[in-house]
Amino acid sequence: MIITVASGKGGTGKTTIATNLARTIAQKGEGENQHPIWLIDCDVEEPNSALFIHPVFEEEKNVERLFPIVDQDACIGCGKCVDVCAYNALALVADKILFFKELCHYCGSCALSCPEDAIQEKAETIGVLQRGKSDALNFAHGTLEIGFSSATPVIRDLKKWIIADDTPNGDTYILDASPGTACPVVESLKGADFALLVTEPTPFGLHDLALVWELIDKEFQIPTGIVINKSGRGDEIIENFSTEKDVPILMRIPLSRDIAEAYSKGDLLVDAYPQYKDAFIDLYKKIEEITSERQREQ
Amino acid sequence: MQIAITLSDNKGLESTLSPIFGRCPFFMFIDPETKEFIIEENASQSASGGAGIQAAQQIIDKKAAAVISGRLGPKAHSVLLAASIPAFKSEGGSVEETLEAYKQKKLTSLIEPNADAHSGERNA
Repeated sequence: MIITVASGKGGTGKTTIATNLARTIAQKGEGENQHPIWLIDCDVEEPNSALFIHPVFEEEKNVERLFPIVDQDACIGCGKCVDVCAYNALALVADKILFFKELCHYCGSCALSCPEDAIQEKAETIGVLQRGKSDALNFAHGTLEIGFSSATPVIRDLKKWIIADDTPNGDTYILDASPGTACPVVESLKGADFALLVTEPTPFGLHDLALVWELIDKEFQIPTGIVINKSGRGDEIIENFSTEKDVPILMRIPLSRDIAEAYSKGDLLVDAYPQYKDAFIDLYKKIEEITSERQREQ
Repeated sequence: MQIAITLSDNKGLESTLSPIFGRCPFFMFIDPETKEFIIEENASQSASGGAGIQAAQQIIDKKAAAVISGRLGPKAHSVLLAASIPAFKSEGGSVEETLEAYKQKKLTSLIEPNADAHSGERNA
């Protein structure tokens, strides 16, 4: 089962929910010969789950993509590569090709279109993937290299590296997505069985929750549940949304100075306050119930 | 000789100068002496990325001798620089006023870019 934790708005507590949920269910099944539990931090622009999980990394892998190199002497200035580039990464100026690497999506069209074979492609590392363990929990994340702007291919390779195509049903993958609703979030939601949306009871929280819900409703139609973090004042606006869209609220974490202090020290909530373990086990059970119910319906 | 002017609207010589470059709606290509002109849509005004680069390409392909705009980002600036097309800053106003200021050499030369990348997306 693949559970993607998303939120729309940043800072609502995606990482708090993803790390505590993953840690709790991995601990619970420890020694019981359970299927592997994975936490995958897909926020490759600012991966921070590792700060709370403290994994020991065992393997590393580079994410590479092919970028064009133009042989200006062989170039005849026909401009075909400029015309085919869908991302405006090339310009033809005074019979020379100018290349803007930060706009390139490494599709290879320019090299294919060149009648003179004046464009070669060279592999460059755009990100690094790492995987390892933290006690019973398997952990992986990716980091986008400095100077590159496109997170999506790093997330794509990270998922391909960890989530095998022939995944046995019992394996659990918890994906910590980046904020927003753009391509990196879409990539993190692809193939997910359940979307767990973390929000806060503020107008901003609601606004961005609605955006990410709309994305899931339009593009994925997977079972979805809400976690209200910093709960206690103004929950009604999220409750109204939950009723209106028929998305259940599965968990609430109160707005509390103690919880914020534990977070600021890099402590997991379930380590600082073990009474929350039951709440996370309960959350996981609800997710399992909802997804298996959906599978039966199909 | 024609020079390119970025426009916010398409009203001939009554048009308003656009303060943004890559995502301005129209380009005017005008001869400063005879005031003969044509107005073209900016083909890259709604490009998902690289609007400045393609806008500069459009101007280069028209063989304009100079560009007048309000702001120029780093990528568009480097394309125009490679094509040796000088860029000038205008604070706005009508085409007539802008041309007059250009002819009297009162416009500031944009030797460096004067806008951040993507600033036209926010201020279009």
